[in-house]
Amino acid sequence: MALDPNAQPILELRGIQKSFDRGTGVPLRVLEDINLDIRPNEVICLIGPSGCGKSTIMRIFAGLIEPTQGHVRYRGQKQAGLNSNVAIVFQGFALYPWMTVEANVENVLIAKGLDRAEIRERTNRAIRMVGLEGFEEAYPRELSGGMKQRVGMARALSVNPEILFMDEPFSQVDALTAEGLRAEILDIWDDVDRNPSSILMVSHDIKEVAYMADRIVVLSANPGRIRTIVENTLPRPRDTRSPDFTRLVDQLHDIITSAELPDIQVSTVEPSVEADIVEPLPGAQNADMLGLLELLDTLGGTCDLFQVVAHTHVPFEKVLTTVKGCEMLEFVDTPKRQVVLTALGRRFVQGGMDERKLIWRDQLMELKLFRVVQDMLELREGSLAREELIREIASRLPMEDPELTFETIVAWGRFGELFAYRKEPGVLTFE
Amino acid sequence: MLNRIIDTVWGQANALFYPFRRRRWVDLVVILTGCALLFGLVQLGQQWTGAKRPVVEIDLSPASLPLYTFFSMMRGLAAYVISLGFTLVYAYWAAKDSRAEKLLVPLLDILQSIPVLGFMPGLVLALVAVFPRSNLGLELAAVLMIFTGQAWNMTFSFYHSLKSVPQDLQEAATVYGFTWWERLKWVELPYGTSGLVWNSMMSMAGGWFFLMITEAFKLGDQDFRLPGLGSYMSVAVEKGDTTAMVSAIVAMVCMIVFLDQVLWRPVVVWAQRFRVEETAQGEQPRSWLLRLLRRSRLVRWLEVRRAHRRHLGLAKARTAPRPHGKRRANTIQRAVANVALLCLLAVVVWAAVSLVRYLSAIPARQWSWLTRAGGLTLVRVLASTALGTLWAVPAGLAIGLSPRLSRILQPVVQVAASFPAPMLFPVVIATLARFHVGLNYGCVLLMLLGTQWYILFNVIAGSMAIPGDLKEAATSFRLSWWQRFKALYLPATFPYLVTGWVTAAGGAWNASIVAEYYSFHGETLKTFGLGATVSQAAYERNLTLLAAGVLLMSAIVVVFNRLVWKPTYQLAHTRYSLTK
Repeated sequence: MALDPNAQPILELRGIQKSFDRGTGVPLRVLEDINLDIRPNEVICLIGPSGCGKSTIMRIFAGLIEPTQGHVRYRGQKQAGLNSNVAIVFQGFALYPWMTVEANVENVLIAKGLDRAEIRERTNRAIRMVGLEGFEEAYPRELSGGMKQRVGMARALSVNPEILFMDEPFSQVDALTAEGLRAEILDIWDDVDRNPSSILMVSHDIKEVAYMADRIVVLSANPGRIRTIVENTLPRPRDTRSPDFTRLVDQLHDIITSAELPDIQVSTVEPSVEADIVEPLPGAQNADMLGLLELLDTLGGTCDLFQVVAHTHVPFEKVLTTVKGCEMLEFVDTPKRQVVLTALGRRFVQGGMDERKLIWRDQLMELKLFRVVQDMLELREGSLAREELIREIASRLPMEDPELTFETIVAWGRFGELFAYRKEPGVLTFE
Repeated sequence: MLNRIIDTVWGQANALFYPFRRRRWVDLVVILTGCALLFGLVQLGQQWTGAKRPVVEIDLSPASLPLYTFFSMMRGLAAYVISLGFTLVYAYWAAKDSRAEKLLVPLLDILQSIPVLGFMPGLVLALVAVFPRSNLGLELAAVLMIFTGQAWNMTFSFYHSLKSVPQDLQEAATVYGFTWWERLKWVELPYGTSGLVWNSMMSMAGGWFFLMITEAFKLGDQDFRLPGLGSYMSVAVEKGDTTAMVSAIVAMVCMIVFLDQVLWRPVVVWAQRFRVEETAQGEQPRSWLLRLLRRSRLVRWLEVRRAHRRHLGLAKARTAPRPHGKRRANTIQRAVANVALLCLLAVVVWAAVSLVRYLSAIPARQWSWLTRAGGLTLVRVLASTALGTLWAVPAGLAIGLSPRLSRILQPVVQVAASFPAPMLFPVVIATLARFHVGLNYGCVLLMLLGTQWYILFNVIAGSMAIPGDLKEAATSFRLSWWQRFKALYLPATFPYLVTGWVTAAGGAWNASIVAEYYSFHGETLKTFGLGATVSQAAYERNLTLLAAGVLLMSAIVVVFNRLVWKPTYQLAHTRYSLTK
């Protein structure tokens, strides 16, 4: 179907900014200057690394969350509170486990204030639409993940929403079922005379996005911003094995990767000049980083980023975080989409446990953040309270989640035996 | 041809009547039970509103026991209904109004810690004064006393459920425009049901303790007793009638078993549908009664009627889409919340002021004396908890770790835990007297009698919850029994044990009021302690001293909870929790 880019958008975000108060004094900014439209008859997808606020954007569109700044418009009018023309399909299904499939759908319609006959009719139609006939009397706990999400879809479709919101709807559904559900949703959407007119989907799966979307909104994290919007003009139904499709997926990969791994030579950063700049830590886990280095070593020291994903069956986002962590410690280099083991990385991965810890510790001390921790620890005579460090992190890295950064500091520091941490009183001490 | 017609017609007619012939007796039983209940309620109404008796005559013949048992049971149930209503309102208010929450939750914490028995004399006197000519005041006092023993943990449970409804379930309710009532009915109440049912059972069990004491209450020469199991037992003890004592105990056990089978079992099975965990449970609880009721045509017919009416009402009420009066409704809600909060504040301030006025009359010397008494009672409470732990941990582990034992003994323990300890006090005191043990030490044993079950109960639950792989690991490493106990059983059951301790200690404080000061065969046995002080002050109608004693006891309990139990609980749930 032809898309008219000049059509009046159904929903608009204008100059949206959103901060959350984390109780640490410094509010955490999750969204910065978001301007986005949802047009009639389109499927629009949000994709980006974790923490880029894609679910938050969706909830602001729906009116579930108020933005800190900026406003939402529905058909040109300023939107106040909940938008009654949207329905949401949730990541965790959000079905009421004490209601049957039928009751889960029906109660939503009762809440809408419809009369009995229409409730019956709409319930039946929605259940039929997603292929749940025969399961009306079943309870959600008797169903598989895919069937549960069908109930979630039936519930959302039953209210006849103008825009259907889907929050990572297939991430808890097994891969094969998800494939089928995607096609079914598109079939339902494809009927121009019927709602939903448009679909807004949050996803972390590049292929899924390329398959579903007319427009792909790529977000970057900390704080969440729109990096770029990719128009997807591939004809429907789309063939995931066609060269055009593969090219689009590659292009999306490149955009996301270049956003997350800018080719800066970390070694050229001189600590004396940049004395007060603290690098944000990616929330990479030690074991994942070790695993990545081992994998690279067995593959001869270099590998394409997406090959890593394919080899390890680890979600793309997590691989990205891990690579960032390794890059920060100068164990790998990332020219474009390649991940290359550095000489240091090779020495590290091939060394024994003692040598590894030595290298790791030296590399940590190259990072300003760990030097700050070390200084604070000395100042406090070897007993640094968790809260104090979290406050320090919050003030130095206002865009980061301080708790998460703290956890990473502890995990990395413990492995390098820089310091010990006891959870009970919550203090860092010297090893 | 004719044969075939007759066959079909006869066959169809037969089939039509088939369900009526089958299980007809179930319907009969349902109808008969309804009639019996109605008759009992009429009796109860007469008893409650009847003219006030100066002295209650208790008939010790076994034939009158069923009626007494029925009266006692109805008091317990009435108190439970009040507790449930209180729970729903209080917990909902605390969870929804963040300003009131700051006041309501600490208040609930204090209410929970107060040894309510200390209030009994005041409450009885006040209510009897309000209804001078009927039994209603006395009955109300009994019901309210039981209520104070039931409500708090139910309220806490429901409050926590309301606060922990998963985010996505809440968001779905918001997106699909549920009103507050629909949200409560379809989301919040169902989510809280499991916890509420479990806590209701615990509350009912704890309530009998207070029932026994209030029913047998005498203040000086004034008789405030009520016809029921408690007074029956006390008269039996006074007269030394062993047969009557034994039959009262049997009647109590019968009532507990009856309620378990007829009320709680079906409720537990019914509440299964409100489980939130997605996984299938190992062993499904079953109820013969519920199965039977579901077969009953009568009950099914009533259900269908109800559903039908609901649908009709729905169609009538909702022909038009819901009007958009949201803003107006919000202002009204806001106003109601404000007024309620103001009332609450007024009550709290008034209570504090009147308490201070009362207490200013007590000289400093008496305070130090009271404090010493409090210290001694604290030692007794801890001693009884320690003694209970000493036997209940090994016994609980033995029962919980053996599927066979737990299947046989768990119902027994359940009944024993519900059994009100004061019924057994006379027997124990007589035994103690024979061995020349004074009440100074003896009352520790009396406290233990009621509270040990909480520890045992929790240890059994804890040891049953130890994951199989941990047990298998212990076996495969050939850990000795002692090593296993130290490395696995004790840490794994520790969170449960702490819960048991907190409940047991709370119960022991309440028990101290009756255990340190006991009337037996016309003479009063007493020992030095805060519980005895409170009892004696009530007996002598020294309201100032009574208030001071209860206040001090509450303060000790609250401080002890804050300083000892809370950190222990936190430790148990951070380091020894198996679920996280």
